[in-house]
Amino acid sequence: MNITRRQTLTGASALAGTAIGAEQAAAQSALNVGFILIGPVGDFGWSTMHDVGRRRMESVLGNRVTSTQVEAVAPPDFDRVATQLVRTGCRLIFTTSFSYFAPTQRVAAANPNVMWESATGTATAANLAIYNARFYEGRYVQGVIAARKSRSKTIGYVATFPVPEVIHAINTVMRGAWSVDPSIRIRVVWISAWFNPGREADAARALIDQGCDVICQHTDSPAPLQLAEQRGNVFGFGQASDMTRFAPRAHLTSSINSWGDYYVSRARAVLDGSWRPADTWGGLGSGMFSLAAFTNMTPEEVSEATRIRDALAAGTLHPFDGPITRADGTLVIPAGQRLTDDQIRAQNYFYQGIDVAMP
Amino acid sequence: MTLLEAIILTVITASTPLLIAAIGELVVERAGVLNLGVEGMMIIGAAAGIAAAITTGNSWFGVLVAILAGMALSLVFAALVLGLAANQVAAGLALAILGLGLSGVIGAPFVGVQREGIGKIEIPVLSDIPFIGEILFHQDLFVYASVALTAGVWWFLTRTRAGLVLRACGENHAAAHALGYRVLRIRLLAILFGGGCAGLAGAYLSLVYTPFWTSGMTSGRGWIALAIVVFASWLPWRAAVGAYLFGGLTILQLHAQSAGVPLPSQVMAALPYLLTIIVLVVIMRARRGGAAGPACLGTPFVPDR
Repeated sequence: MNITRRQTLTGASALAGTAIGAEQAAAQSALNVGFILIGPVGDFGWSTMHDVGRRRMESVLGNRVTSTQVEAVAPPDFDRVATQLVRTGCRLIFTTSFSYFAPTQRVAAANPNVMWESATGTATAANLAIYNARFYEGRYVQGVIAARKSRSKTIGYVATFPVPEVIHAINTVMRGAWSVDPSIRIRVVWISAWFNPGREADAARALIDQGCDVICQHTDSPAPLQLAEQRGNVFGFGQASDMTRFAPRAHLTSSINSWGDYYVSRARAVLDGSWRPADTWGGLGSGMFSLAAFTNMTPEEVSEATRIRDALAAGTLHPFDGPITRADGTLVIPAGQRLTDDQIRAQNYFYQGIDVAMP
Repeated sequence: MTLLEAIILTVITASTPLLIAAIGELVVERAGVLNLGVEGMMIIGAAAGIAAAITTGNSWFGVLVAILAGMALSLVFAALVLGLAANQVAAGLALAILGLGLSGVIGAPFVGVQREGIGKIEIPVLSDIPFIGEILFHQDLFVYASVALTAGVWWFLTRTRAGLVLRACGENHAAAHALGYRVLRIRLLAILFGGGCAGLAGAYLSLVYTPFWTSGMTSGRGWIALAIVVFASWLPWRAAVGAYLFGGLTILQLHAQSAGVPLPSQVMAALPYLLTIIVLVVIMRARRGGAAGPACLGTPFVPDR
């Protein structure tokens, strides 16, 4: 019977990904834009913000576009859903997860008349663009704030998977923290999920119990932040959307994803025929993401954080300037050099001083 | 508060929803019905619970609604497997998927609404005892309820006539029927109890553990509850051991990571399931090939008319 349960478990998770929240194309002339989301629209994080972006696109372009959105699509279902979108007439399709990147490459090659855009990816093609935001810039600001706020000099980090996006975020938090106080340390818990409120809360509990008093999170739910609020004297940062209201006394700032303007410009490009495959990696200056209002901070802390944020946005401060040394002591780049975008995207090592095991 | 105390407190909160759901499912399975839809009933409870709590402003009303919602969903299952003698595995799976989808609809208006969780209660005097006081006498009511449920179910199954009849339905429904017991009615009650427990476990998640609503927030805890029933070899106290073991391993693994102990977290995460398989093997060996668990588990019963 145990075997049956195992099978049913996989079956259920595959089937659970078929909930379709579709809006059918109304006008034939309008551009139909497809969206495939990895999570439910109600995850209050990553997928929610893509949905917000889609709605902004619709409101700006009005009757020139319609959109069809399919949410909570598990990667094994991707091909079927993508093919269905092509059949129903979508000519521009956004696939909003790195888990979709390889299948998107495949489906894009099979459907050359459709424009594809993959949120995070590693390569473009004739009809495939990739886009992402430089969230690490927000992480640097978080590091600076965390170093100011922490009394135990220990930051906790609720991490997801050991992929470059998460690894360079942890490195950058510490870069920011060390710029204030080189004695800051970090503890990391990997929960092997992007979204699991219960486990996120457990991870935050473990970190706080071990002395962390500022919690950073890479996971999508407000659970770690909410737990910080409950415990008191612990601070945290919101992820993907403004989470101030979940922790009015513990919230410092949130990283707010904002895809709307990008979606508007890309849909407009398809409409006027100027769409070209591109590799867009927008920072704070691009508007692809922003930081929520700083809360629970002294005026001095706010002005410092604002100054750092503006410097990052203006490009005068760069978190990946050398010297950069790996945890094992080897030098990556000396002072005076800077990591290239490809090097940042491939970062699979922690910096010296970050004593964290990869799971 | 020492680190050990903190760890034990966290383990208790992590294990409580597992225990509540597992005890409910244990009763269902002892009556001979396999309901794989625990995940669905749990999340319906979570969604309905917080929806009712936010709408009325009363968390305890939310708990009540969560229990009723779990029961209502289990009634759908009962209609299929008892009324129509449908395949229990298929119906249970359908229930899990239905619950996940339906909970999203119920919870949609409440995404992102912040709400104060149900707090802990402090038992005067006793909670002042160092160490033990904080752990045993300063918990939320759900924790006490889970212990009471375990004790109650143990007492019911082993010490009462009704419990004996329920077990008879699970071991040999034809014989129970021949003796004049209403197998279907007893199974219906067991299924409703299981649904109520799953709903209660869901309420714990959305009203105490992480007091907000997001879709899919049970994240597989219903499936773990099912594994615990097997691990417990269908005995209530062992289910408690199983729930605390499963919960404990999860928490210890997080602490080990945070402390920088180089334990492969994947192995730790797989350990509960590995233990479940080992227990199952041991039971099968001991029974020399007999059925693991109630003999009529999963077999539909159609009374001769």
